[in-house]
Amino acid sequence: MIRFQGTANTLGLLFCGTMTASMSHEIKNALAIVNENAGLLADLIALAEKGRPLNPERLKTLAADISRQVQRADSIVSRLNRFAHSAGQPVTTTDTREIFEFTAALAARMAAMKGVTITVAGDNTVQVQARPFIVENLLWLCLKHLFAVSTGNQTVQLGAENADSHVVIGLQFAEGTPVEEISKLVTQEGQPLIIALQAEVSTDAQRSLIRLTLPKKFEE
Amino acid sequence: MSVKVLLIDDDQDFLAILAERLMIRDMDVTTVSSAVEAFALVESQPYDAIILDLQMPEIDGLQALERFKAINPNLQVILLTGHATVAKGVQAMKLGAADVLEKPVDIRVLTEKIKKTRVQKISGQGSEGGNNTVQSSAPVLNGSFSRLMQGIEKLFKKS
Repeated sequence: MIRFQGTANTLGLLFCGTMTASMSHEIKNALAIVNENAGLLADLIALAEKGRPLNPERLKTLAADISRQVQRADSIVSRLNRFAHSAGQPVTTTDTREIFEFTAALAARMAAMKGVTITVAGDNTVQVQARPFIVENLLWLCLKHLFAVSTGNQTVQLGAENADSHVVIGLQFAEGTPVEEISKLVTQEGQPLIIALQAEVSTDAQRSLIRLTLPKKFEE
Repeated sequence: MSVKVLLIDDDQDFLAILAERLMIRDMDVTTVSSAVEAFALVESQPYDAIILDLQMPEIDGLQALERFKAINPNLQVILLTGHATVAKGVQAMKLGAADVLEKPVDIRVLTEKIKKTRVQKISGQGSEGGNNTVQSSAPVLNGSFSRLMQGIEKLFKKS
């Protein structure tokens, strides 16, 4: 168990690395636009000094653009902060929808690069007792392996339902997605996470579905 | 005659603002949000420089660079990146990038690079794989990428 915990932590570190790299890239993009807006302001001032009149409407647009990019960067930093804190979060009862929406937000940029859209199904409340970070990490492995085989323009839907003493998390892929191959890779790479969550991974190739079955109540 | 630039980035906000700044500098700028759109343009029109984002959906910057060079080996492509790595920088230069610059980019550096690519194009100096001299461009690179390029330079020296 200790060995698996160690490997789960290593996988967690890789997860952290991937996500922080992606989010820092997003922040850089927002900063690049702020930088260009500031530069354009300087350009317009230099032109005004040479006699070209300043257009107040253009300045208003620039101020609004800067404000929008600051908000964009701020929301990325908030996400990064939440993610950083979640790494040390203990076993807790969490709404699966919250986990799905956060995982979708974390992976959104990388999904967009691969032409994949992540959606969250339904509005039912399904709670699970687990370390949210490990659930997010396992979901990420599923998404990562989907991205590797994706040819673009597809949607993956995350959802959950109660099943007696368990919670079944479903990843619904587009028709024709090699779910068995993805599931095999996730099971191999994510074994320590699966053990840490006391979970089971199964597939329904006909429905292009991967199921992660977790106990509703986590036994230490 | 103004310098003709093709600007490719999937971030529409970045595309619009950088285009406006280059136009203020008397450049003739065309913008597209994907490399796929750019391929058709490059086949039908001449450009003095192509400014290409390294990370884009569908086809990333390095794959796009390879395709541009296959269309016309003399095309001068400058890559822009949010976070450059030594490996990607080396790969880009080997594939024939005229330069790799890190975002946020200094407009003076970018303008200088664009003008330099035009001179190279006119004088017929292509930037096909391996011909680039990293050392010559390193002193004018900005910020952390300058340090990155020093690393690349060491790698080239070793090989």
